[in-house]
This record gives sequence, C-alpha cells and structure tokens, in this order.
Amino acid sequence: MKHRSSLLLALAALLVLAVVPVFVRGIFIQGIFISIFFYTGLTAAWNIPVFGGKLSLGQAGFFGLGAYTAAILYVDYGIVPWIGAFAAILVALLGALVLTPSLILLRGPFFTLASLAFAEVLRLVAIYWRGLTGGSTGISIPFEPGWQNLTFETNVPFYYISLMLAATSVGISYTIYRRAFGYHLRAAASDEEAAQALGINTSRSHVVAFLWSAGITGMLGAFYAFYLYTLEPNTFFSLALFSLQPALNGIIGGMGTVWGPVLGSAVMTPLAEFLRIYLGDVQEGLNFLIYGLVLILVVQTIPGGIVSVLSRLSRRLGFRSEEASAKRGNDK
Amino acid sequence: MSGLRIEDLAKSFGGVIAVDGVSFEVGEGEIVGLIGPNGAGKTTVFNLISGLFPPSRGRIYLADTDITSLPAHRRSLLGVGRTFQVVRTFTEMTVLENVMVPALARDHDLREAREASLEILERVGLHDQAFSSTHNLTLAQRKRLEVARALAAKPKVLLLDEVLAGLNPAEVSQALPLIPQIREDGVSVLVIEHLMTALMSVSERVLVLDQGELIASGTPDEVANDSKVIKAYLGDEAASA
Amino acid sequence: MIELIAQVIVAGILLGGVFALIASGLNIIFGVVRIINFAHGELVMLGMYATFFLHSIWGIDPYLSILAVAPALFLVGVIVQRLVIQPILDASAISKIFATVGLSLVLMNFALILFGGDFRSVRTSYSDSTIGIGPINVNIPRLIAFVVALVLFAGLYSLLRYTFIGKAFQAVAEDRSTAQLMGIRVERLYLLAFGLGAALAGVAGALLMPFATVYPTVGISYTLIAFVVVVLGGLGNMTGTLLGGLIIGLTDSFSATFLSPSLSTATYFVLFVVVLLVRPSGLFGKGKGTEEVGLR
Repeated sequence: MKHRSSLLLALAALLVLAVVPVFVRGIFIQGIFISIFFYTGLTAAWNIPVFGGKLSLGQAGFFGLGAYTAAILYVDYGIVPWIGAFAAILVALLGALVLTPSLILLRGPFFTLASLAFAEVLRLVAIYWRGLTGGSTGISIPFEPGWQNLTFETNVPFYYISLMLAATSVGISYTIYRRAFGYHLRAAASDEEAAQALGINTSRSHVVAFLWSAGITGMLGAFYAFYLYTLEPNTFFSLALFSLQPALNGIIGGMGTVWGPVLGSAVMTPLAEFLRIYLGDVQEGLNFLIYGLVLILVVQTIPGGIVSVLSRLSRRLGFRSEEASAKRGNDK
Repeated sequence: MSGLRIEDLAKSFGGVIAVDGVSFEVGEGEIVGLIGPNGAGKTTVFNLISGLFPPSRGRIYLADTDITSLPAHRRSLLGVGRTFQVVRTFTEMTVLENVMVPALARDHDLREAREASLEILERVGLHDQAFSSTHNLTLAQRKRLEVARALAAKPKVLLLDEVLAGLNPAEVSQALPLIPQIREDGVSVLVIEHLMTALMSVSERVLVLDQGELIASGTPDEVANDSKVIKAYLGDEAASA
Repeated sequence: MIELIAQVIVAGILLGGVFALIASGLNIIFGVVRIINFAHGELVMLGMYATFFLHSIWGIDPYLSILAVAPALFLVGVIVQRLVIQPILDASAISKIFATVGLSLVLMNFALILFGGDFRSVRTSYSDSTIGIGPINVNIPRLIAFVVALVLFAGLYSLLRYTFIGKAFQAVAEDRSTAQLMGIRVERLYLLAFGLGAALAGVAGALLMPFATVYPTVGISYTLIAFVVVVLGGLGNMTGTLLGGLIIGLTDSFSATFLSPSLSTATYFVLFVVVLLVRPSGLFGKGKGTEEVGLR
C-alpha cells in the first residue's frame, strides 16, 4: 500500500541515524542530535491534541513534573529511573487531569491560557516547595554511571535512548492519526458540533489525546532529567524551552500532520541553538523577538508549515496529481 | 411503532420563545415535511431533536426511547441523523474521509468503513469525487455530501434541513429522488424545505409551524388549502380570498 | 485585624477597577474583531513604559501623560490590527492564537532590547500620600486610578449603548456579513476597535505607574488578569467585567497580604479553575459571541 512508503522512509532514516555516532564523535554535535531527538519527541507529543484542534502551551508543566518525579524518586528513595519513568508518566497524567475541565469546557485561547498558567503555577510550586524539590537550588543527580542509573560517561547511550524516545513519540502520533481515533480528532477540529451530530464524543476524544500528549511529555522529562543530571525549576518548567519551542517547531514543520513535528524539530533545533549562542550574547531577547516575528509571518504566509510547502511543491512539479495526493492524504 | 415522537417540545432563548409546545410523530419509513414562514422555529426544532441544546420543556422519543437528556453524540449513535442548513462538511478532509467519519464513530475498522462509504458515495452520485478535497465541490455536491455523511451514520430518523436550498432547478430535480430512496431503508425522514412544490411532491404528510406553534398537519393537499396556513404565509387578506 | 481586612478590601477594590478597565479593552477587541488578544498585557506594559519615560525625561505627570499615551496606544492598536490581525482574520483558531502569542513575544522582547530588563517605577510627590476615609488609609494614586478607570468604563458603556459607533460595533459583533451588506465598513471598524482596546490598556498602564513597577515581562501578569476577569465576568458582558475585575482585585489584594505577592498568579489560576468547574459561563452569564470562542 502506498502509505507504507513513508513508513519505509522513516525506517531508513532511523537506520541511518543509528549509525551516525560511529562517524560523529564530537560531543557538541552529538549533543545537537540528542536535542533534536528530544525536541522531535516533545513536538510530536504536543501535536497530538492539535489533531483535534487544541493548542496547549502547558507542556513545560508535564515535562517538569516527569523530570522531578523521576529525579526525586531516585535521589531520595533509590528508585531506578527506568521504574521512575513510569511514575513520571503517572504524575504527568494526574497533572493533565487537572486541566481536563478547562479542555472540555473551554475552546481555543482560553484553554491555551489555562494550560500556560498551569505550567507557570507548577514552576512557582517547584520554587517554593523547597522540602520536596530543593527550591531554586534544585536537585543534583549523583554521578554513578551505569545503565540502571541512566547515567553515563559519554553521550552515546543517550543518543540512542533519545532516538528511541523520539521514534516512540512519533510512532504513537502516527498510529493515532491513521486510526479511527485520528478521524474523530480531525473531525472535531474541523467542526466540533457537526462531529458530535455524527456520533463522536468529542470531549472524550480531546481528553484522551491530551492524556497521551501529557504522558509522553512526562516520560521525556524523566529521561531528560538524567541527561542533564541537574534539575532546576526555571529550566525544567521553562515555558520558553518546553512549551513554546515545541509549538514553534510544530507550526513551522506543519502542525496537525504526523511528519510536521519531525521536520520542524530537525530544522528549528539547530537553528534555535545557533540563535541562542550567537544572538543571545549579542543582545538578550533578540532570539525571542525573532521567534515572535517568525510565528506571525508563518501564520500569515505558510500556516500549514514546511509540510504544506513540500506538498504543494511536489504537486506543482508534477510528482502527483491532487487526487493522488488526496488518496495518500492519510500518510501526512 | 414510531420512528420519532416529540411531546410538548418548547424552547426559549432569553425572553424569546422559539418553539412553544410542539407535538408530533413521524412513523417508521414515513416522509414528513416541515414548513412554515421564516422564523417559525423549524430549525430550532431540528436542533432540539439532534441535541444541539436542551429544551425548555417537553420530551423527545426515538423509537419509543426517551432521548431528551442525552448528549448529541449519543443521540446520533442511537439513530438521530441530520444535515445542516448551512453545509458543514469537514473541510480539512477529503470527500471519502468525510463519509468515513460517522462509520468510524461506530466501528473502528478502517477498511470496512472505507468500503461502506464508497458505496454510499455511489448511491448519492459522488463516487468520482471520493478523493477530492471538499473545496472543489459545487454547492449541490456539498449538499449531497452532507446527506451521504448523515446516511453513513445509519440513522433511524433523518432530519434534512433545506437540503435543496441554493440549488438550480436542474440540480433540484437530480437531488429530489434521493429522499424517497432513503425512506426505502426504513428511515423516517423529516424534511424542512422552502421549495414548496418539491416538498409537497415528496412528503406523505406535512406539518406547519408558525411562530413556534404547530398550526396544521395533514396531507399536502389538506395543508395547502388550510386557511390558517395561507394566513401564516400570506396574511389575512389572502386567507379570506 | 478588622482594620487590616478592611484595608485589604479597599485596596483590592481600587485595584479591581483598573483590572476591569484592562479587561474591557480585551472585551472590545474580542467583541468586534473576534480575536482573543494574547498580547493585551503587553499593551498595558507599553502604556506603562510610555508614562515612565514621559515622566523621567520631561517630568510629565503620569495623569497628564494619559493625553499622549492614549492616542499613542490607539495608533499601536491600529497598526497591530492592520499588520498582524487583518491577514489572518479567516485563518484557523489555532493560527489566530499563534499570531497574538507571536505578537506578545515581539513586544515583550522589543521592550527588553530597547529599555533593558531593569524594574522601573515612577515616584511623584503624591505617590505615598494617603487620604483617610474613616479608619482606613487610602493611597491617593490608587484612588485616582480607580476613579478614572470607572469614569472611562462608564464612558465606554455609554459609547457602546448610545452612539452610532457603539451600535456599529454591536452590529458587527452580532453578524459580520449582514453589517457589511448594510454598508458598515467592517475593516475600518476593526481598526477602531483594536485601537480603542489598546488605548484602554495603555491608559490603564498610565494609571498604574504611580504605584506599580514596569519591566519587560510584566505584560504576562496583566494578560492573565484580563483573561481571568473576562472568564469570570462573562465574555462580552460589561457589568460582568466590572464585577469580575473587582473580584480579581480583591483576590490579588488578599493573596498578596496573607500569602505572598509572588503567588498571585497561582491564586488567579486556582480561582480560574474553580470558576470553570462551578460555572463555565462565568459568574454573570455570557455576552454575545461566546460560543464561537469557547465558554459554553
């Protein structure tokens, strides 16, 4: 079947990426790859509720919840991070439940704001609840290398771990998109009332999509905690890093599509790194100013992101007719 | 055994009474027309039946099951289908995907949904457009898509809201035969239509609404000659003529 | 203790008036243009900075500077509407959110780059003056802010109800296409609405300066406040906005006094969530157009 070709492409890409560390030894570049993978995972997770038309900017909250859960369980209770990751997912899901009334009762901007406030409140809680989180000083994960402690001397293990995490996240979003659930979400995004009139429980669909998103994000947070091995509220609950950046990646790549997050993260992560290093020094805030402008421009000119541009291009160049591309529409 | 029965249905919005104590029944496989001047409350009745908002008063029964307090999606799953006056197709999806949605709300098998949907598109004459985007459809085609989509939900009762509005005479005569076809599956059909001749030709019974109240009910002929109906549409002078 | 509580209540009410003014700007923009302006707090911030600089460079009294701040922010609003909002009026809901979020980032960091991250405040001769009303000492700038805010609020209400522009606004809010058919220049009205909303926010900023502090990211708090007030009071509902503003003012006052000033965000959010659970349409019912944007 035709849509298998994109899966094959993805598999091929995975294989290529799996071999990269053999040739690329530089720590810095390996670090960039790891960043790209974490962000691909984050963006793909953020994108799942977007299938249903819901924009959440609260991912930083789930990320931090997951990170701190895993870290605290390890540092204070000796629980191995591989188990801690499950607890992290659970805590993130509980956090998501707090937001579900907002998700169901509000649409659009008000839910987005609620999700943003949620992340902010968690950040403040992390700062003030010193007994639990170490406050602004944060938590330091002791350096005891070993697979069971998720602590390593080189970047290479985390290269593969983060690659697997990204693949999992994208894989889940792909599966959701292609199955009946994906249709429910897309119908709800297009016209919520019409979808309900056809038998779709749109509220439940949004909640389930949101829970998947939160759970995956929490899991990513848990692993990231051990990658950075120092946790601090302003980093792990950072709106800029873990709420805005994935959203930016998503919209540039093509939100509401499966491969958009992948493309967006692949393009934006190195770019963001570049902007941060070169412009962040020149002038504080310049990189965010550029982000803001990019957001506005993308929304005005290419709201469908890179994916839509590629799609239009391939049609223009005659690679496929519009009908054929509609037939393939499912594998976006 | 009735397909649809409403009892003393009423709805007010703030101080405005849109529907005031309407009761009627639509039998299985019956085609009933719902007419009335603008603002009579016809679409509101449809909205109440499909569950867009709750009634201020009254009960709604689908095949003798009380659905009054059920949410819209549950009513759809039980068999209430509808089209919208202003076409509400899913613009981000292809024609085929649009029709697959209700099928997938009931059963998660994609292949079966696809096949069933292609069949329905064939029935309404949209098979060739299956993989097109909805943007490329004419209004007449989009209206058919609405109907196809509603049919894919396997309704017991189908509410057609001005399905012929905006169509030219050729398109109307092409679309009209669809309605009796639907009835053949045992579906009760309630039709709102402003095109009188079309509606009268296809309905077995006609209900007339005016200012939220049911003022007449009967065969098309009976209703056409009812002075109350004439007065509602044309005013007092015409009625006494 | 009773005196302390009375003090806190009064302070809360006074602040609430200004909050209501900010939220009313958000309401106008939403009501007419159908956009929820994520950058609304940044408009307040710009008003605050303008007031600060007029005072520190030319020694202009904050209340006098309203004469300059209002038209300046009006112009900003018009420009924003034309350049940022107009091109995406028919875009998806998510796109609209992104556009104003992007705008918020731009304005915030624009301020950071131009003005630096330092906290700025305006201190006048009367900044700390109080007037005694019974056993309570009322801070004069806060009192003035409250009175002016209320006057403007009343003015806005009259504008909406009794003038042609107000009726045009309502017409567009109710039914854009029909309004267009009746000859109302909808796009001009959008410019006007956004300009007005921005001007109100800017004036609120000017009113706040004598007792508040401005820094580039202060806008986030005011955006949150405006949103919460609007949810509480019912989108599009003027009286609701006023009452909502007062409630949030009181919340702010109580949490700042009895908990901690930095936890106000948390308290608003908790209030937000609680209201949503109990009465999603706001405490005072909806205004027009709420279904489109949410708040069932």
